[in-house]
Amino acid sequence: MKIISKENFHAFVDSLIQEGSMNIEGVKAKEEKFVFGPLDSAKELRLDYDVTILSPKKYFMPQFETMMAFDSTGVKKPAPAKQKVIIGIHPYDILAIMQMDKYFFDTNVDDAYLQKRKNTTIIGMIPKNVSEKAFYGNMSQLFDSQPELAFDLMLADLGNKYAIMVGSEKGKAILAKAQNVTEATPEEAQQVQQMQKDVQQKATRDLKASPRAWHDLLAANYNSAVWKEQGDKCLGCGTCTLVCPTCFCYDVKDEVNLDLTSGTRIRTWDGCLLRDFTKVAPGEIFREKIEDRYRHRFNRKGQYLPDMLGFVACVGCGRCSSQCVPDIADPVELFNKLAEGGMVPDGPAFEQPAKIDVATISDTTNLYIPRPATLKRVEKVTKTETFFEIQMDDGQPLGHQPGQFVEVSIMGIGEAPISVSSAPGGNTFEMVVRNVGDVTSKLHALKLGDKIGIRGPFGTGFDVEGLKGKNLLFVAGGLGIVPMRSLINHVLNSRNDYGKVQILYGCKEPCELLFGNEIKAWPDKGAEHLLTVDKCPEGECWEGGIGVVGTLIPKIQFNPQDTMAIVVGPPIFYRFVIADLKKMDVPEQNIIVSLERRMKCGVGKCGHCQMNGIYVCKEGPVFKLADLKDIPEAF
Amino acid sequence: MTKPRVAFFDFSSCEGCQLQVVNLEEAILDVLKLIDIVEFREAMKESSTKYDIAIIEGSITRPIDVERIKKIRERASILIAMGACAHLGGVQRMGNKWTPEENKAEVYKRHPGSEITKGDANPYFAQPRHRAVDEIVKVDATIPGCPIDSNEFARILIALLQGKKLPIPDYPVCVECKKNENICVFEIGGFCMGPIARAGCGAPCPTHGGECEACRGYVDHPHTQAHNEVLKKYGLTPEQIMNRKTMYTYRYVEEAKGGE
Repeated sequence: MKIISKENFHAFVDSLIQEGSMNIEGVKAKEEKFVFGPLDSAKELRLDYDVTILSPKKYFMPQFETMMAFDSTGVKKPAPAKQKVIIGIHPYDILAIMQMDKYFFDTNVDDAYLQKRKNTTIIGMIPKNVSEKAFYGNMSQLFDSQPELAFDLMLADLGNKYAIMVGSEKGKAILAKAQNVTEATPEEAQQVQQMQKDVQQKATRDLKASPRAWHDLLAANYNSAVWKEQGDKCLGCGTCTLVCPTCFCYDVKDEVNLDLTSGTRIRTWDGCLLRDFTKVAPGEIFREKIEDRYRHRFNRKGQYLPDMLGFVACVGCGRCSSQCVPDIADPVELFNKLAEGGMVPDGPAFEQPAKIDVATISDTTNLYIPRPATLKRVEKVTKTETFFEIQMDDGQPLGHQPGQFVEVSIMGIGEAPISVSSAPGGNTFEMVVRNVGDVTSKLHALKLGDKIGIRGPFGTGFDVEGLKGKNLLFVAGGLGIVPMRSLINHVLNSRNDYGKVQILYGCKEPCELLFGNEIKAWPDKGAEHLLTVDKCPEGECWEGGIGVVGTLIPKIQFNPQDTMAIVVGPPIFYRFVIADLKKMDVPEQNIIVSLERRMKCGVGKCGHCQMNGIYVCKEGPVFKLADLKDIPEAF
Repeated sequence: MTKPRVAFFDFSSCEGCQLQVVNLEEAILDVLKLIDIVEFREAMKESSTKYDIAIIEGSITRPIDVERIKKIRERASILIAMGACAHLGGVQRMGNKWTPEENKAEVYKRHPGSEITKGDANPYFAQPRHRAVDEIVKVDATIPGCPIDSNEFARILIALLQGKKLPIPDYPVCVECKKNENICVFEIGGFCMGPIARAGCGAPCPTHGGECEACRGYVDHPHTQAHNEVLKKYGLTPEQIMNRKTMYTYRYVEEAKGGE
């Protein structure tokens, strides 16, 4: 531990500001409150602050962030931002940054986040003052001992001097620029330790449910009346998520210049309390009721992220509690309310948060940059659907599995998740796209040879190995045939690997039937099939059945115990078909579905496709029905 | 691509929204590469009856206005309502709380008995009821705000030309206010419509020390009940709540009454 006089510390900060090679940011006053912002002078620093309006999350994932710029020549990532030093981050906010690290580096490294993280020096500060709603003292009960925090330097105010803890080589290097730094005496070190204890004590509120018990308390209260009671008071304004240091969800938008060709793709904060958060292009909203959105926020923090990544996504900063106008966002009050219904036993201690060395992570993932591809075949197949054959410009095969999807990008319009419809293999891949949103309508206007962008393939598709040797019953409704065709063609290409193949396919009207020519070839390829339409307008020719797809199920011979039923269709279709299959004694273990959600990023980051604790874009879109037993939001 | 012919028309308004278009300044040269402006009283002397896009500022007030907007609608393939007056009826819509006679008597009280206040003698004073444009004719697109934001005007024009959904959010102003790191208006003793008002403006009013008055109207599903409870909690009486909620948004009050 080091010691520096306040005078010398201010001189150090001023010298960094004057040197000009880095942006120096710190806590400043904003009227009666505090914010992180650029420093013109060390005099502006208010290290006696209690809490800032927004957390330092804004430095690593800004409110508005240019992900790429585009023009007629292509797509460019922005130049790396200038190095930053942030002075005065409290330990709870450093813990939040460590959670962000875990979240944004998990599976797919978010290079946009990583780049900012690498460029930043974190100078922490032991709080001197504690805001009224803070409860980080309670949250420290999650761990058996104090976690080791990811700071470069950490300050503690000892009157006319600061004690400085050095947390990294980066911290050591920057501190070397300061004058008159001495070693701390054992008494001073003791003083800092006491200070840390005292502040934890001060930031402890009357929380009746230990954060170790939150997970089970939430699980036990999923259907509690509390959600509706609180939800009725909720403005749905998103404040609680926007001010939260551990809310990471974002939206992505294209902004186009007046030349209609150039522009930028922007990432901006989003929140699960907002009504449109789960809305997909055809119009479905998967959490339409405010109480469901209100409940989701707490569950994500206390149950889903702990299951997914091992941390409770709350650090006890109290920002949501103090900034929610109807005063319903406070986790302490919410968990106390839930605990009134009966406590659940305290869970085990949480694992110490990982201190990730960001320098060791490669930032060349280009997670969000679409790869150029060319339309090789474009055929309008129905009034609203068009067939596309696509080749990646690098000549490489897409490398997908049946059931996976890609993010199709049209710069200036946006991105949309689209299922791949062709069997794996080959140098091109195929999609059938319905004209329902901005991207798909633009796609429909494109011609042979036009360029699009592709990210992916993403998601977990059908388990083609696991299905080998099994009898397969395909049940497709409407556009469900599109992702299913990838698997059907794969199975028919390796027909001997599979048992009986039966295909039931229904759509609204005969004119909406897709892949008519391929269907004619199915019998010769060893697949039995039945077709149906909801209705057949007069004068149209139709040889199949009339009625919903479910009516076909009793018409075929199959052994429910040794048949895998693969069911894909629009959201409403599942409830009926699953009920029909269960009536025929098909076990849940044998039913496979593919679900539609708002898969905005495709890489498990933006949060839109989440249903309960599952990211559909990662763990799905293909699921075994048995695995969705505890996912009430699935259907 | 042939450039669409665009005409601006004003009805009951301050013409401030058209001024915002002029305030695009240099960018207007880029706009003119995309569209041909054939009528724009505030910026040019030419006029035309041949146009593809009609941009309307102002509320529709008198029978002669109804006739005029219908004629414009017939000529235009796309009709855009620009600004709070065209979108909601404007602040003048508060006048709908009283009868036309009461309004005239109040406004011209220093001229009792003047011909102007009597009956329908003068068509310019005939039965003024303030209506939004879409209550009279079909509106294809709305640019909300009082006044409109110049950049949003450009964004919406771009989206129209791209054939894209208009980039007008369906979340409340709080979202943008929080992103600006403002201190909540309620916290400093103010009154705010932000929690139910439609965002897209970037929350300039709370950011610069004001309060949101919902000049852009409400989000599609405003949590009005929860918002009223908040206002009550912060000390407003039901009457005060009603008064504060009618500055730009009396349209919703009238619609709720109509729906009863």
